[in-house]
Parts: sequence; C-alpha cells; structure tokens
Amino acid sequence: MIKRFMKHAPDDSSSSGALNDLSFLLIIFFIVIAGFNVNKGFLLNLPVKDKPRIVKTADLMKCRLTADGAILVDGKSLTLDELRTAVSEKKAEWPNMTFLLLIDTNTEYQHVVDIIYEIKQQKIENFSFRMEDSDV
Amino acid sequence: MFKIARRKRKASIATASMSDIGFLLLIFIMLISLINQRHEEKIEYSEAKILEKTQEEKNLEIWIKKDGGIFVEGNQISPESLELLIAGKIAEEPTSRIHIIADKNTPYKFINDVVNVLQLLQHRVVSFVVKEELR
Repeated sequence: MIKRFMKHAPDDSSSSGALNDLSFLLIIFFIVIAGFNVNKGFLLNLPVKDKPRIVKTADLMKCRLTADGAILVDGKSLTLDELRTAVSEKKAEWPNMTFLLLIDTNTEYQHVVDIIYEIKQQKIENFSFRMEDSDV
Repeated sequence: MFKIARRKRKASIATASMSDIGFLLLIFIMLISLINQRHEEKIEYSEAKILEKTQEEKNLEIWIKKDGGIFVEGNQISPESLELLIAGKIAEEPTSRIHIIADKNTPYKFINDVVNVLQLLQHRVVSFVVKEELR
C-alpha cells in the first residue's frame, strides 16, 4: 500500500474562529445583563409639607382607595376602566383638574401603582396623593 | 519567450488578534458590571404596562419589603437613620435620584413613612420603581 503523506500547513492562530465567537457572545451577554439594571417606573413630584394648595372644588376629583383595593369616587365604587372614563370626562370638562388620591393605610402598593398608572396615562398634571388619617 | 512564474499568494485577512480584542472587551465589561453591582432585595415587583425610564447617573435605591423593612445598599435601616442617610447622600451628590422600590403587597403605610422622610427633607422628585408588565 502506498501512502501518500500530505504536508499540512502549520496551524496559524487565525484558525481560532470559535474562540472569537465565544468571546463576542459573552460580551453581548454582559451588555444585555447590564441593561437589566435600569430602573423604570413613575416620576412623581412630592408636595411641600405643611403648605396646602388651594384648589377650586369644581376642579377637584377626590378618589379614595380602600384597604381591599376598591376605588371610591364620590362614594361610588368604580372599576379601573370606569375610573379611566370618569377621569377623561372630568378632564374634558375641567382641563386644569386636580386628582386627589386618598390611600388607606393598609392598601397594597400594587393598587396604588394601578391608579398612578391610569392618572399618568390621562396626562393629569395636578396629581396629589396622601395617606388617609395622616397630615402628609 | 521566457516567462517567470510568480508565486501567487492567497489573499487573507489576519484575524488572529480578534479573540484577544474580544477577551479584553469582555474583561472590561465584566469589571464595569462588577462596579455597577446593585444590592437587590427579594421582593415581588409591582407591575404596570407602560413606564418611563427613571434612572439617573447618581441613584439611591430604597427597598421596602412587605413586612415594612427598609433596606439601602443591602443594610436594613430604621426611618430615623434613613433620614440621615438621605440627607448625607443629597449633600454629597445633590443630583442624586431617590428610587422607592417596594414589594407589590406592601401596605401603603410603610411607603408613606419613606415619603414622609423625603418630604421632611424637602426632596421634590421621587421615582416609584415598577416592573414592566408583559402581556
């Protein structure tokens, strides 16, 4: 049997293609992971303590959020969708309206976030919130 | 006619240093992410559909657990010491943004305690951090 020996070129360093791919995949992974640490949410302006603002009664929409998450406007219980409609109707009538949210001490935070989200969506500029039975 | 046969060289682009560059970048990004490491508390995030980015260059995160525990940079603190900590942070870096990151089941009274401290310090803008709802 005749064996033919072929001469192979010595391995050059440019043949490490998989290593390149691996390093760049790891880079992409770390860049993506770094992007997860960005905080998102709502930016709210806190009112000055002990400096009440005078608002016309017609401009004011008072909403009470109970401990079980029920939304009460003028003593009437509303769903989130109904609140959205009520706020947009009020805003159409009174563009400078103020939305006042009174929150029960034991209301879960998620319920508060739901209301803030709706208010932000309606682009209500005058939004105030405070805990019930507190002097905030 | 006599022709000199020229040896043809195969055209190639040297990519040997690519992996070196790749790994240097990798080490750089890993170090940066280590520097920017944040202390996370185990909480269930509250959710909303559309959010705005509230992150700033300088940030102070206040974590509130559902039992009312307040944590800053991995340490549990009382509302009284929170006041000192925020005052110190604002004095050091006036452009710092304060983030409130609370568990979705936290009773509002605990969040109100933190809001009260911020109002007392006359800090105007606060970020309520919420996770984006995926539906």
